[in-house]
Amino acid sequence: MKRRGRGIACMWYPIGFTVDANASAATVKVNEDGTATVLTGTVETGQGSLTVLGQIAAEALGIATDDVHVVSADTDTTPMDTGAIASRTTYVTGNAIWLAAEAAKAILFETAAPMLGVKVSQLEARDRKIQVKSFPQRNVSIGEVAHRSQVVLGQPAIGSASWNPPTVAMDPETGQGKPFATYVYATQIAEVDVDDETGEVEILRIAAAHDCGTAINPMLVEGQVEGGISMGVGMALQEEMLFDANGRHINPNLTNYIMPTSLDMPEIAVDIVQGYDPTGPFGAKGVGEPTAVPTAAAILNAIHDAVGVRVTSLPATAEKVLTAIKAKRAAEVKQIPA
Amino acid sequence: MNEHSRVLERDELEIAETLRSPDVDLRLPPVLPREPYPIEPLTPDARQQTRAVGQRATRSDARLHGLGQTKYIDDLSFPGMLYARIKRAGIASARIKRIDTSAAEAMPGVMAVLTGKEIPTNSFGPTFQDQPVLADPIVRHAGDGVAAVAAVTEQIANEALAKIVVEYEPLPAVLDPVAAMREDSPKVHAPNSNIYATKVVRKGDIEKGFAESDRIFEARFSTQMIEHVSLEPHAAIADWDANGRLTIWATIGRITLARADMARTLKLPMSRIRIIGTIVGGNFGGKNEISQEPALALLSKKTGRPVKGVFTRGEEFTATTTRHPIIMDYKTGVSNKGRILARQIRLVLDGGAYCSWSATTLGKACILSPGPYKIDNVVAEAFVVYTNKTMTGAMRGFGAPQVCFAYESQMDDIAKALGIDPLEIRLLNAFDEGSSSPTGQVLHSVVIKESLRKAADRFGWEPRS
Repeated sequence: MKRRGRGIACMWYPIGFTVDANASAATVKVNEDGTATVLTGTVETGQGSLTVLGQIAAEALGIATDDVHVVSADTDTTPMDTGAIASRTTYVTGNAIWLAAEAAKAILFETAAPMLGVKVSQLEARDRKIQVKSFPQRNVSIGEVAHRSQVVLGQPAIGSASWNPPTVAMDPETGQGKPFATYVYATQIAEVDVDDETGEVEILRIAAAHDCGTAINPMLVEGQVEGGISMGVGMALQEEMLFDANGRHINPNLTNYIMPTSLDMPEIAVDIVQGYDPTGPFGAKGVGEPTAVPTAAAILNAIHDAVGVRVTSLPATAEKVLTAIKAKRAAEVKQIPA
Repeated sequence: MNEHSRVLERDELEIAETLRSPDVDLRLPPVLPREPYPIEPLTPDARQQTRAVGQRATRSDARLHGLGQTKYIDDLSFPGMLYARIKRAGIASARIKRIDTSAAEAMPGVMAVLTGKEIPTNSFGPTFQDQPVLADPIVRHAGDGVAAVAAVTEQIANEALAKIVVEYEPLPAVLDPVAAMREDSPKVHAPNSNIYATKVVRKGDIEKGFAESDRIFEARFSTQMIEHVSLEPHAAIADWDANGRLTIWATIGRITLARADMARTLKLPMSRIRIIGTIVGGNFGGKNEISQEPALALLSKKTGRPVKGVFTRGEEFTATTTRHPIIMDYKTGVSNKGRILARQIRLVLDGGAYCSWSATTLGKACILSPGPYKIDNVVAEAFVVYTNKTMTGAMRGFGAPQVCFAYESQMDDIAKALGIDPLEIRLLNAFDEGSSSPTGQVLHSVVIKESLRKAADRFGWEPRS
């Protein structure tokens, strides 16, 4: 019969490289009409990073996501970047873009200050305008300022910057140090049905609460969490590369290497935990990798809760779960006094 | 009257007609009516909002993805472009005695063949440069490339691979990471030890911690080798132009490192290399270093034509990086109230044939292995060892999913043994703002307890008596 169980798992995960430098550089160019172009050396690998990076530039310049075009991934034209790895794009590349946008904005403010008759320090960029703080009715459109800056004054609003997360090397003997600038935290709770006659596990639902600092784009965070959970499901129950005695891979195809499909996916409820990291762009950290971290642990704990067996080697295939159930039954039978 | 101009007999005509019809179809493919779509994208409001941060803005590339118009490498084509394929060793450990490429080179349509000897610097890697572009002369896992072919079609390139004759002297192989740690085990990178990186984290006094503990829990956990299985396989196009400038379109998540690797393997100044990262159809850590790109570049140099290489799904499994299997020994001392007082961990990572990102995975796995808990006494030791298997490298989580499986499994075992609710025991031990990590780092913006409570609320977690 099917037995229901629940399992919880939490985790911590660092953003960026372990101690080693992993800088990003970026250039932000404000066009004469107040739109902007961002140059970054990172690569869009499907996660939506370019959209998030565009949002960071837009926020810094007081314009909309749609006003920013992000040019990426060309060693001839874009500045260096350590790349789409280590959940670092939003945090590290995002900081570089933020700083570059601030540098471009400083040029715009220099132009706008005499136009509005105030000091640079009294200006802010909001709603596609440069306005006097606390006096938003005294404003000039960012397009007008950018045009004047570039075409009249000959000072194009272009900013470049780089950023590298601060770390402290680890002691080789004790490992003591500050290997990462920041960490994110998450919890996932899984509910499963385990068939105690076949060992088959069905994942019913997963509640996932993830911290990413400020969610620059909550929709993309949710997408990451759902994608990460699908990888976690494969790790927990299905995926395994198998080798023969001679070291040849025996299942190098998707017929024999079983991955989760949409039919294997549970219902997922994603919560973004309120957080703010003062070292990240607008308080953001990162979210890519950690989404796949606690899933398998939560599922295995749910299996344990359902049928009382602890599977200690992944994946928990039906065969493995059933063998464990049978072993548990056999052990229980022996305990009955004669 | 010659063969071609004679008038066909009636019965022959019928056959000819049957043969012609599919042929006609092939010459004149039906043109589907163009699907009309609005020229002006229907922009959802979120993309137009100022205060851009926090908006559920649709992705700037969503429209092209949705219409199937995103250009992945396999959608790109250049005039005169050739197709490359790589011959895989198919043997886990061997010395190459001889490679005979003459039969392949003689095939019509084969434009060039490349072996490891022709690569200026035949090694690369993000930490240790221990991986050859094409094996020469030692094969260290079955997915090692031994020769590459460029031909006018992919089919001819495939047929040419079968005509390349490689003579191997089999060498002893080691597949089990624990066996590989022994002194007398065959060495994957002789004469060096198979243990190629170690990491240790020590905090507090582990013996004192165990002595003060009421209960001690010990368990061994292990995980499997996993492939990223991105939808788009590793793919690249290399074009070595007449000016001696090399352009690579590649599915690489890190173009800056890729250019440095290309400059090293090809002995070219960086200014003569341009790497263009295309939109990548999934990375998950699997596309963070070069793979076939130097071979494609040299094939392009040899032929003067652009060369495209796209891995098969089989190559994705056997010839690219994978997730580390880890054997994890946990010994944890707790008080009767459920506080973790001491934790000792030993991790053995199966590093596969080459280092790739193993040193990074080792470090992260080791640092994260005690879990997000306040533990005063910690010893975590981690080793990564060479085996004659597909190399392991970066994959979403860098060892963290493996150690999380171990520390969270044990956490539930402890909770059960002590009769504490699994949520409660975690809240009891979890980091607070300002807690000290196992490496002695003071943690900031810590919200693990909030995440525990939020997930529990959403799930409807009730303590059971």
